[in-house]
Amino acid sequence: MSKSFLRNVIGEYMPTLGDMDEKVVIVNADLAGTCRNRGFVEKYPERAFNMGIAEQNMVSFAAGLACEGFIPYAFSMAPFLTMRACEQCRTDIAYGNRNVRLIGVYAGVSGGISGVTHWALEDIGIMTSIPGVAVFEVCDANQAKRLLDYSLDYKGPMYIRSSVEPTEDIYSEDIDVTVGGSITVKQGNDGAVLCSGVVVQYAIEASQMIERETGKHIRVVDLYSIKPIDRDAVIDAARTGHVMVAQDHNVAGGLGSTVGTILAEEGLGVKFKAVGVPDQFVAMAHAPYLYKKFGLDANGLAEAIKNLY
Amino acid sequence: MLSVKELEKAALEIRINLLRLCNREVIHIGGDLSITDVMTVLWLNQMHYNPQDIHEEARDRFILSKGHASAVTSFCQAALGCFSPEDVINEYATDQGRFSMHSCNLVNPYVEVSTGSLGHGMPVACGIAAGLRLKGNHTSRVYTVMGDGEQSEGSIWEAAANAVHCKLGNLVAIVDFNGLEADGTINEITGLGNIADKYRVFGWNVIEIDGNDVEQIVKAFGALPDPQTDVPTCVVAHTVKGKGVDFMEGQVRWHAGKISDEQLSACIDSLQSTYERRWSA
Repeated sequence: MSKSFLRNVIGEYMPTLGDMDEKVVIVNADLAGTCRNRGFVEKYPERAFNMGIAEQNMVSFAAGLACEGFIPYAFSMAPFLTMRACEQCRTDIAYGNRNVRLIGVYAGVSGGISGVTHWALEDIGIMTSIPGVAVFEVCDANQAKRLLDYSLDYKGPMYIRSSVEPTEDIYSEDIDVTVGGSITVKQGNDGAVLCSGVVVQYAIEASQMIERETGKHIRVVDLYSIKPIDRDAVIDAARTGHVMVAQDHNVAGGLGSTVGTILAEEGLGVKFKAVGVPDQFVAMAHAPYLYKKFGLDANGLAEAIKNLY
Repeated sequence: MLSVKELEKAALEIRINLLRLCNREVIHIGGDLSITDVMTVLWLNQMHYNPQDIHEEARDRFILSKGHASAVTSFCQAALGCFSPEDVINEYATDQGRFSMHSCNLVNPYVEVSTGSLGHGMPVACGIAAGLRLKGNHTSRVYTVMGDGEQSEGSIWEAAANAVHCKLGNLVAIVDFNGLEADGTINEITGLGNIADKYRVFGWNVIEIDGNDVEQIVKAFGALPDPQTDVPTCVVAHTVKGKGVDFMEGQVRWHAGKISDEQLSACIDSLQSTYERRWSA
């Protein structure tokens, strides 16, 4: 299987998106290069705004552009977008229900050796707790492109996070992406892994490993629409009796919290485990090392699934 | 265009409405009164804004960055006919009302952008100004009214630097420089110093006026550069917090508050006689 870098896929798809709709504009905070926006900036210089290293102004400015009918795509590293400009996301974007697309790269610990300051351990918790924001995490190149297509017509604010780690190309070009959707990447009725983003590829691998070792068929569900979430997919997964959630995010406030709440609300007694980044700060290291350390790699996930039985 | 006398009469009525409201609810009366004259001229004389067509493309945009001056904004809009002053007084701070401590677009469509937390309106106004340019609207202006204490917010200066860089000559940022913030004087609390100089250094076109002198306000707004030009304008309005009410003027404790029936009638008498003395001569 080939791999893609989602940051490149998203950034380099922006000129195409700009071709599709003249209302598409980009705002950057001195990370146009990092976010792979140079192509758009060169093609549509008048529709690209670089605010300098000023994320708060970038997000508010995007809100203002949306007030005038544009669809601004505000790019930055996820922690700067969702934490430095948190109140701007909430008050200027969400409260006003502006059609801004907040594009956060460096999801989870994928920023690796840049360290804690450049990791987004909290962005899902933050953004899902802001009313009216549709929150997504993409795991694949085609999914990212189709979500960007989808974002042209969606009304209201969106937050899209993506990893800078390479991801397997899982989906075909015509993959259907929608708010509140999910994709069952691998069938199975002996248990289910609910996950998003970079972890999806590791979950598929873990499921294959378990199948070889034990003959158990573990379902893998890509919950790319984190909010609103595909509640039916969660309930259906619970029918397998064993549910594990895995996400490159602090275990607190991430997908595990959302899924756990649904299971409790529905009164579904299942074996349950949430895997993520532990609720503590650790020093910088390469992402694969960290995924192994946190049990988010294929071996770690397989081990955690087996421990459910 | 209204005459100075007519504008001063309108400002008088807005002040009386503010005080009537202040007799019923705690409002940010000090900062409402300091900016009343600027807001009166802005809404009744300066801005192109049709209450019957509030989404008209050609309208001027108004963003209240000092969101706690919602009452004076609502009374200015009432003076334009968006709703009545009695609507504002009756609905203010009620559970299903359109008006409250800060402006909210969810219930009041005349609010272009909901505000309250400081340091937000100005950066949003910059985005709006850039958006107008981008879509080829070269006639509308974006007006934003900020507090002086609000100038401590870092986001204001992110926007101030970028507005010049983006050549937003269609942006008019007004600072209500009344010298007081919630905890004390600007000099005691933040030492912001000369706000006008700071905007000058950032590259803005700066106009300093007595923000409680209607004639000066009219003149300043009349001399604004064409919205198609490239340099944003900052109007530093030197004002008096609590302007027009002797016991409130320059008093920190009247940042927000409520007045008694006796205070209300004394205030109204005083405001009316001041106006009459000025225009009877």
